[in-house]
Amino acid sequence: MTNHCCGPGYASPAEAMTAPREKLLYTIAIYTGTGIQKPDYLCTIDVDPESSTYSQVISRLQMPGIGDELHHSGWNACSSCHGDASMERKYLIVPGVRSSNLHIVDCGTDPRNPTLFKVISGADIKTRTNLSAPHTVHCLGSDIIVSMLGDAQGNAPGGYLQLSKEFEIVGRWENSMGGIKFGYDFWYQPRHNVMVSSEWAAPNTFMPGFDLEEVGHLKYGREIHFWDFEKKEPKQTFYLGEDGLIPLEVRFHHNPDSSHGFVGAALSANIIHWWKDAAGAWQWEKIIDVDNEPHPEWPIPIPGVISVILLSMDDRYLYLCNWLHGDIRQYDISDPHNAKLTGQVWMGGLLGRAPEVNGVKVTGGPQMIQLSLDGKRLYVTTSLFSTWDNQFYPEIRTNGGCMLMVNCDTENGGMEIDPRFVVDFGKEPNGPSRCHETRYPGGDCTSDIWV
Amino acid sequence: MTSFTITLANQGGAAFDVDHRKPLLQSLREQGVDLPYGCQYGGCISCAAKIISGKVNQQAQRALNNRQINNGYIILCVARPLSDCTLEVGVESHDKLYRNPFLDPLAAHELKADIATPLDEEK
Repeated sequence: MTNHCCGPGYASPAEAMTAPREKLLYTIAIYTGTGIQKPDYLCTIDVDPESSTYSQVISRLQMPGIGDELHHSGWNACSSCHGDASMERKYLIVPGVRSSNLHIVDCGTDPRNPTLFKVISGADIKTRTNLSAPHTVHCLGSDIIVSMLGDAQGNAPGGYLQLSKEFEIVGRWENSMGGIKFGYDFWYQPRHNVMVSSEWAAPNTFMPGFDLEEVGHLKYGREIHFWDFEKKEPKQTFYLGEDGLIPLEVRFHHNPDSSHGFVGAALSANIIHWWKDAAGAWQWEKIIDVDNEPHPEWPIPIPGVISVILLSMDDRYLYLCNWLHGDIRQYDISDPHNAKLTGQVWMGGLLGRAPEVNGVKVTGGPQMIQLSLDGKRLYVTTSLFSTWDNQFYPEIRTNGGCMLMVNCDTENGGMEIDPRFVVDFGKEPNGPSRCHETRYPGGDCTSDIWV
Repeated sequence: MTSFTITLANQGGAAFDVDHRKPLLQSLREQGVDLPYGCQYGGCISCAAKIISGKVNQQAQRALNNRQINNGYIILCVARPLSDCTLEVGVESHDKLYRNPFLDPLAAHELKADIATPLDEEK
């Protein structure tokens, strides 16, 4: 039960798991890159199975302009503010990767119909901080930081934008980027005074699309960075090499005392695990290696391209998506050194295993995922990034993306696509759009950090 | 000011006079042309258009590789005209902009300018 005397979120991951079931989702949908000259928007989706509008988009909040490429999002407050009764999980910060605009959306006043509260313009951010291309948003117990993947001209490594809780630009958060070459995702674990950041590429490299040859020219990341969180500077870098090409989503255990964490290396299709050893030194190892798969018409096997990972709130299961293969996998990581495959489902992908699910042609592959706090429902969307979609799944222009739900067996392991749930973004009122990251009003398995 | 005429071949041949000092995206949008765009610093490719005739200065673009440039693509948010031009604009002009990188690799001279091998040095 939530303790109503306190601030937002939950006292612990265990308490979060007992929260009421999610009834609404907030999912971004884009028209950027589709040829439809409409703004990207935030969808509110009804996920209450008792509701007559279950599995439907019930409201749409358009951004003020076109071309943002909404992508990820984050709350103004999470369990890191649980002890502060003056804080409220009310505003979703929704960045535009291309425009660098930050949209502050009020989801608290009327959760079924979010409204735009404020826009911090990309032009302001560039002028005041020399940063662009916002990605991951985490609150820090009061202020908010956003990983920014480029400088004001789209060159790497960018840095971190700090916002006050009133959504004013404070400036650059970090004191130094050290020798970091690229930015992308980050997660902090304050009881170990650590933040880990990963590497995609410079905005000028990844935004126009994926030139595979640029990986060999070191235009894409292959390192992860361990920061002194209080000093706000990188302290140690792990060169992952061929095992860690394009390390993307960073997840620490939810348990704030744990030093274990994981990153998905997209192009290598590996999961890298790190932890602090008995002597207090950080170590890393590869624990999952997804084999490339042959394709009947391709000259070379297809890598999985692990575009996302997440951990269940009890830190027992790790989920990953192979966006090009088309499968979602569930691994039991009770022993984080020995991941055991316990479930797998297919939707879309290039291997043709599940071209249609629940009556909808799946264009794209499983991509962003969000897990319910109790670990039983995994919501999945299919679009990665407009230009990359256009390269690998060009039919997504006319078909749009879709959202599906996977039921997860938390006792014995296992996954099944729910036959009742599908949201077809190919049928949106302004034409086919593409869906990406999802958030729940009450927090989810990638939003909250315990201090 | 020097002005040039920009003709949009895939918008019924509509023609616009533009200031040679301003990026084409800005000039065309100011005259009511509805165009896609994103970063507005030449890095994201959203505003790419195909040049059918004419010349532009797009030194500031960082989005295009040499194959895309050879296929006639320009980045409207930073490209300034050096002559009258005829363009195809919008996603309709993007037929050769995107390729599957696993099926259709770039030759060394087709990479982006900062890493491309000059054609005469390529094996």
